[in-house]
Amino acid sequence: MPTRSLAGAVLLLALLAVPGWAQTSDVPTVTRTVALENARIVPAPGQVIENGTLVMRDGLIVAVGPNVTVPTDAERIDASGMTLYAGFIDGLSHAGVPEPKSSRPQKPRYPGDPPNDRAGIQPERDVRTMLDPDDGSIEALRKQGFTVAQVVPHGRMFPGAAAVVLLGGETAADMVLKGDAGLFVQFASAQGVYPNTPMGMMAKFRQLYGEAERRRRMRNRYTENPDGLSRPPYDPVHAAFFPVQTRQRPVLYYTEDALETYQAMRLQSELNFPLVLAGVNQAYDSMTRLQATETPVFLTLDLPEASDDSTGTYDPARRTRTHADREEEKANLEARQQASRERYYGQAAQLHEAGIAFGFTTKETKPGDLHAHLRRYIEHGLPENAALAALTIRPAEILGLSRTLGTLAVGKIANVVVADGPLFDEDTQIRHVFVDGRQYDYSDSSSPKSADEADEPAQAVGTWAFTVASLQADVSGTLTLTGTPDALSGTITNPLDPEVTDLKEATLNGNRLTLKFDAKDYGTVTVKVQISGDRFEGTYEVPGRGTFPISGTRDD
Amino acid sequence: MNRFFLFFACLLLAPAALAQPMGDLLVRGATVLTVTNGTLDNTDILVRDGKITRIGQGLSAPTGVRVLDASGMYVMPGIIDAHSHIAVDGPVNELTTPISAEVRIEDVVDPYDLGLYRALAGGVTTSHLMHGSGNPIGGQNETVKHRYGLTDPDAIRFAGAPRTIKFALGENPTRVHGEGNNVPPSSRMGVEAVIRNAFHEAQQYRAAKQQYEQDRQRNRRATPPPYDLRMETLVDVLEGEILVHCHSYRADEILMLMEVFRDFGIEHLTFQHVNEGFKVAPELAAFGAGASVFSDWWAYKFEVYYSTAYNAAILTRNGVVASINSDSGELNRHLYHEAAKSQKYGDLSDDEALALITINPAKQLGIDARVGSIEVGKDADLAIFNAHPLSIYTIPQYTVVDGIVRFDRASDPDDMRLQIDPDADIETAVIWTGEDHHRCLEGAFVFE
Repeated sequence: MPTRSLAGAVLLLALLAVPGWAQTSDVPTVTRTVALENARIVPAPGQVIENGTLVMRDGLIVAVGPNVTVPTDAERIDASGMTLYAGFIDGLSHAGVPEPKSSRPQKPRYPGDPPNDRAGIQPERDVRTMLDPDDGSIEALRKQGFTVAQVVPHGRMFPGAAAVVLLGGETAADMVLKGDAGLFVQFASAQGVYPNTPMGMMAKFRQLYGEAERRRRMRNRYTENPDGLSRPPYDPVHAAFFPVQTRQRPVLYYTEDALETYQAMRLQSELNFPLVLAGVNQAYDSMTRLQATETPVFLTLDLPEASDDSTGTYDPARRTRTHADREEEKANLEARQQASRERYYGQAAQLHEAGIAFGFTTKETKPGDLHAHLRRYIEHGLPENAALAALTIRPAEILGLSRTLGTLAVGKIANVVVADGPLFDEDTQIRHVFVDGRQYDYSDSSSPKSADEADEPAQAVGTWAFTVASLQADVSGTLTLTGTPDALSGTITNPLDPEVTDLKEATLNGNRLTLKFDAKDYGTVTVKVQISGDRFEGTYEVPGRGTFPISGTRDD
Repeated sequence: MNRFFLFFACLLLAPAALAQPMGDLLVRGATVLTVTNGTLDNTDILVRDGKITRIGQGLSAPTGVRVLDASGMYVMPGIIDAHSHIAVDGPVNELTTPISAEVRIEDVVDPYDLGLYRALAGGVTTSHLMHGSGNPIGGQNETVKHRYGLTDPDAIRFAGAPRTIKFALGENPTRVHGEGNNVPPSSRMGVEAVIRNAFHEAQQYRAAKQQYEQDRQRNRRATPPPYDLRMETLVDVLEGEILVHCHSYRADEILMLMEVFRDFGIEHLTFQHVNEGFKVAPELAAFGAGASVFSDWWAYKFEVYYSTAYNAAILTRNGVVASINSDSGELNRHLYHEAAKSQKYGDLSDDEALALITINPAKQLGIDARVGSIEVGKDADLAIFNAHPLSIYTIPQYTVVDGIVRFDRASDPDDMRLQIDPDADIETAVIWTGEDHHRCLEGAFVFE
């Protein structure tokens, strides 16, 4: 048994490709060069290489094409049956930004003149200082193929400056592609203090902007020649508007519906700042303005749930004369509601047909629903190539990062999605995602357990033999659990460290088992599995390295 | 302020794509209640491009122009509601501060609100969407036309209507700020002090700006004073650019506000509710203040007990420009009954009673050159009834805005919503928004 584990450890270590590992171990450093061979490659929307190879080295794409010579130091991965796409880009979300604990807001002495932080007026904050590379939201998005996101702080009206980040990396600093990417604004009132209403927020925006104009002029004048001038007033809140006023960065406005979109665009037309909109639900009613102003959009993927209730046709002229006809009235209302849902589903196609540059935002959408909602947009008229563009090249353009992101081209950052079929087919699974050349693997989850099954309490105690799978090889270990379901403890022999290690944590919730243990140089490994009888399946997460499928069986 | 510049600024702001559609129409054979020019029997009204172009008998419809046979029917000017809180997105009160002059209902007009259509069904074509009455100096209001069916907020604005602002006296502001937040005002005296202080501050703000403009002539590097949107707005009030509409009940504080306005040289003033207006009608007339009242709605709080159904008539007889408003998404559907009630109690003439809901509110809103009566050159906003609109038996048949039929009783389907919640239960198709009662203190934590 120990021999088998040790052999496995070496193999897995090779796959993990740990930077800096060589300093702490005798095992030679492995390559950061990977070749995905025999794949169907979609370098950009509308382009296909039916059988090609993509080579990544040190986080960059170094070769793509049908006839590529694979470097001798490359780890070769047979990707036959797979399709490669450029990594997806999320136009706006809170990925990697843990949500602060909410506390009941205090009522200040003067609700009309609250401190800026109480009022949610914090444009001077920077999301880069809030990033947590281990936040679960990163993994959740990455699993769906997203490799880059424009992320924003949590907060109220002005939560702070956005940044474009890679959805992977060991430290917050590693993740950042572009800081200070936009001044994030949303219609989130100050909850009982000024500004407490949408109209109050509009007024507050104008006030801050107008005073910032004055301060910027005074600062410029002072910078040119301070002789005889009083030192201009400075505060970080107003100063945060300066780069917007000099058009160096956009206002990034999140709007939830057509009225909010109108309100944001109203401010833009008055004050003339560069604007990027995100959310923009009910875009069908904002189309004329979006088109006239050529405002870029990160469209929501938060769509109304479909319903099977209605199959009828809506009769707009219907008048129900008597309560006896109530069922017919109800059917007509259901038909109208269905038509209303269809308008939401059709809005992406409308943006596309109107020639408006758009990507997507994952904010407000459960990661597990993203692909279903993309398919819904496609079913309602959005061409597949346009959908792919909105996941890749369009957001890269809107974010000003087309030179490094958006396509599978030599010289670009190695963000690659490996799918086991055409991206927008319902049966297609994303199997691997590369972020900055770093590999993340996802198991075949094509036969998910039903919810009832999943929540059945399970017995965890026992000795388990398990296997961690990666692209090339499987490695094994042993898990021993003792105690009661409420107080589990145990040991693990594992691929990263052949010694028997005590578990730091072992909790069982229904049939969901979570384990944590320290694996020397690798930090705390988290194992999450679902137990079904004498088998379990789940994930094996090594911080900063990746998440791997794990499966096990009970020995005794 | 330079009006000329403002005009061009507005032009620049108006998006090119925005359309406020105008219609052509011939209304044939009706009894026309012009309000300003008597009653015309068996008369036609020709509308071209949203304007009334001819009023007379035997008019012929140009090719393609829809003819509305109104024989046996009564046509009156579209009803104007000088006090409404429908079609507003979000709370109507920015209650956090006693002075919120900088906020604008203009920003949060909600064209989807079904209340616009319900009011159309009562003959209303123009509404004055007001900020609430929680603050001594509230926000700016917005005048809209009931072009129900259009979804761009700009499409339902009354283009060219003057800016107006809400003030409020009495129990609402003292309760919200004094009792609620322990900030001034806590008393009626305090309300006056808050308003006077605000005007003084605005004068100082204006002086500082003027000083800067002078300094700048001599010294191009002069330092501009801080920008304050609230003060910018109050300066516009001082200079008569913004008409003031003040929530009020008691005679003493009505006199108080007129004194304050005299002291600051502000002329444009309309009192809203003004239940004790009948006590100070000559004083109101002498000031030139308008009064927008209820016909017979009172006793919903202590300061509103001393009231009379003769209020509108007494004000009218004393030469005050008086109107009847709804302040409600329910009452605005039968303002013609409200006018009739005032006529019944106060023995007003038909024209005087109809003026309460047409030309008089138009004057109070500064839009009487455009709407409020049936005259050649005016907007073709018409309410058409099957009987005289002051009859208890009358039923509205058509409501026309800019020459376009926006309500037709014969074609009034079940579901006139413009926006359907894709996730809501079907049962909520019957909308109860709460706007059916007045929203003056919406958002406040105390009983209205």
